[in-house]
Amino acid sequence: MTPSPLYAPGVFPERPAPLEEACAAGSGDGAALIAFALSRRLEGDARPVLMTATRAWLGEHGRPYGPGLPGVALILAPVNTAVEALWALEQALRSGAVSLALGAVNAATLTQTRRLDFAAKQGGCVGLVMPRGLDGLSAARRRWRISTLASAVDPDDARAPGPARLTAELVRGRGERPGAWMLEQDDETHRLRLADRLADSGLAAIGHAGASSGLAA
Amino acid sequence: MRARRPASPPDPALDPKNPFALVRKNNRGAAILYALNPAARAAGLRRGQTQADALAMIPHLICRPADPEADARALTALAVWAERWSPSVSVDPAGGGLEGLFLDLTGAAHLFGGETAVAAQIRDRLVEAGARAGVAMAPSPGAAWALARWGQGGGEGCIASDETVRSLLAPLPVEALRLDDRTVMQARRFGLKRIGDLYPMPRAGLARRFRDGDGVDLVQRLDQALGFAGEALTPVRPPPKYRAWQAWMEPVGDIEGVEARLTELVADLSAPLVRDGQGAKALTLTGFRSDGGTTSLSVRMGRPGRDAGIWLRLFREAGLGRLELGFGLDALMLTADAVEAMTARQGALETEAEAKQAESLAALIDRLTARLGEDRVLMPEPVESWLPERAERWRPALGRSPTTREDGGGRRPVLLLDPPEPVEAIAELPDGAPARFTWRRLSRRVTRADGPERLSPEWWRPRPDDRQMRTRDYYRVEDDAGGRYWLFREGLYGREYSGAAEERAPSWWMHGVLS
Repeated sequence: MTPSPLYAPGVFPERPAPLEEACAAGSGDGAALIAFALSRRLEGDARPVLMTATRAWLGEHGRPYGPGLPGVALILAPVNTAVEALWALEQALRSGAVSLALGAVNAATLTQTRRLDFAAKQGGCVGLVMPRGLDGLSAARRRWRISTLASAVDPDDARAPGPARLTAELVRGRGERPGAWMLEQDDETHRLRLADRLADSGLAAIGHAGASSGLAA
Repeated sequence: MRARRPASPPDPALDPKNPFALVRKNNRGAAILYALNPAARAAGLRRGQTQADALAMIPHLICRPADPEADARALTALAVWAERWSPSVSVDPAGGGLEGLFLDLTGAAHLFGGETAVAAQIRDRLVEAGARAGVAMAPSPGAAWALARWGQGGGEGCIASDETVRSLLAPLPVEALRLDDRTVMQARRFGLKRIGDLYPMPRAGLARRFRDGDGVDLVQRLDQALGFAGEALTPVRPPPKYRAWQAWMEPVGDIEGVEARLTELVADLSAPLVRDGQGAKALTLTGFRSDGGTTSLSVRMGRPGRDAGIWLRLFREAGLGRLELGFGLDALMLTADAVEAMTARQGALETEAEAKQAESLAALIDRLTARLGEDRVLMPEPVESWLPERAERWRPALGRSPTTREDGGGRRPVLLLDPPEPVEAIAELPDGAPARFTWRRLSRRVTRADGPERLSPEWWRPRPDDRQMRTRDYYRVEDDAGGRYWLFREGLYGREYSGAAEERAPSWWMHGVLS
């Protein structure tokens, strides 16, 4: 049922680093990736979100859809090349005018990600690069792999999909231990929070109780 | 016309000693002479003559088909180029708008070292650009028109003042008054050959003596030439109120040189805007090439501004490299195309921090727009529509402030596939949720489903293919891999599909991916 085991959890790093990287584990995980990316904003940060992606990416995954993203002020920059996307990300991060700059950029070099990291620190924003895979070198503090999970139980209708769940696997973190966490989308605030595995019928049997913040073991 | 590089055997048509004419068909289908070079005119040919007559007179006349549309385009381009001397340049409406340009140099001649100097400069620049032209300056468009074509020395820089215009016009033939052929013929018949012959005639009698009101036209043209009657000209582009301008002797052929000059221009343009309390929302940089062409680059801003440094940065983002320098630019003009009062900005923002935040966002959008283009920096705009793909429109973000959507209640996908993609689906009941579906060649088993959410067609909006739009039943489904999708069935069994052969069976579509 779970695509990757939920292992060795430390404390989930709630607070975003200036630059992070996240990739979708599979082709159907694009929406989960976007939901995770949006949750990397600082809590209560009302600045808009810039998203940049090539037209090819938007054709493959679909375009962000406002009615499905309540409470997010989105600016979309469809670009032709990765260089344009990186440039737009850097401009947005440096300006400090956005809470999150989100870019579907493949194969950014170490130097390019370093520039983004620096710009994010300068502007006080969060940058999130969404490559296809996590093979290359990157200056991102954390590198995540996101996959969808079966949803939580809908208390009103057991046959309907309930609150969305996903696995966020920290593949590499600077000075942090890798781990995987199960996150659940709050139906009202639309923010992701750590799923309470004890309340869930499917995963309650796995592991033992006692992890500090309801983390799956 | 001047041949720039003789790569092929010389074209006899380009030799000014050979009589040459452009020919076009008149409305009866006969080929007539449309334009002549001086050699052809000297040989006694004239405009409007049939080609057959002309060839009988001058058998070695070279004829080429005329292209009046290309002529008009070229003349308009030349008019824009001539804005280097005057912000108000118009194409001569007489003669089908193919013959000449009017430059309003009122109060501008001193910038170029006086009237004689500017006339000489205009003529020389035009010759360099490959266009031989007669140039004249006069207090009225009519007099300038006459002197440029018929003035002493073949229009080589003839300059008339208020005092001299009457005497300079007097020896010119009446044709110089921009009259049609019939009026000219009648005037000739009365023995009125020169403009000076008209001076002693009483206006009222003159007007009456011609047929069909031609005399009124004659008097009107005479008064326009002498400056008694006004004449409105329509400039090719409305003259900008704020304009900074620079010209130099040696053409600048590299981007660095242009950028250095632009640095001065933005400062020059900013100063009067600051003085008037105005801000620009759009700027255009026009480069005047020494070969008679122009090249331009525009930037737009979301809110009015006058910071020279920001302007310079926007032009850099937009790419000064896009300017086509050709053999070099010898003048640059920067104009403010859209100007707004700086004080008119609505102060809907509450705190200083919010105002600063809005400011930096607007600056970011300006910069992104300058480089990527207006249609590639977008913000969603909610639209009243039942159809999910119509409920949102992406519009240029320039000049708009960000909005957030309220939670609509119904769960909507994070990523919308537009247009929806066809799906093979199997449902346990014809009008029930799918049990299995194949999307992008991958078969998925549905573990949970929610629906239907029924969306009726917007019957008042016809589809482009004129097919009747059908009801959609939307389902949120989850597959066994945990993926959540938004599917719909188009068409209702029973009411919209009875099973008849000519009807389309209801079909399944993938419309988006849920988080």
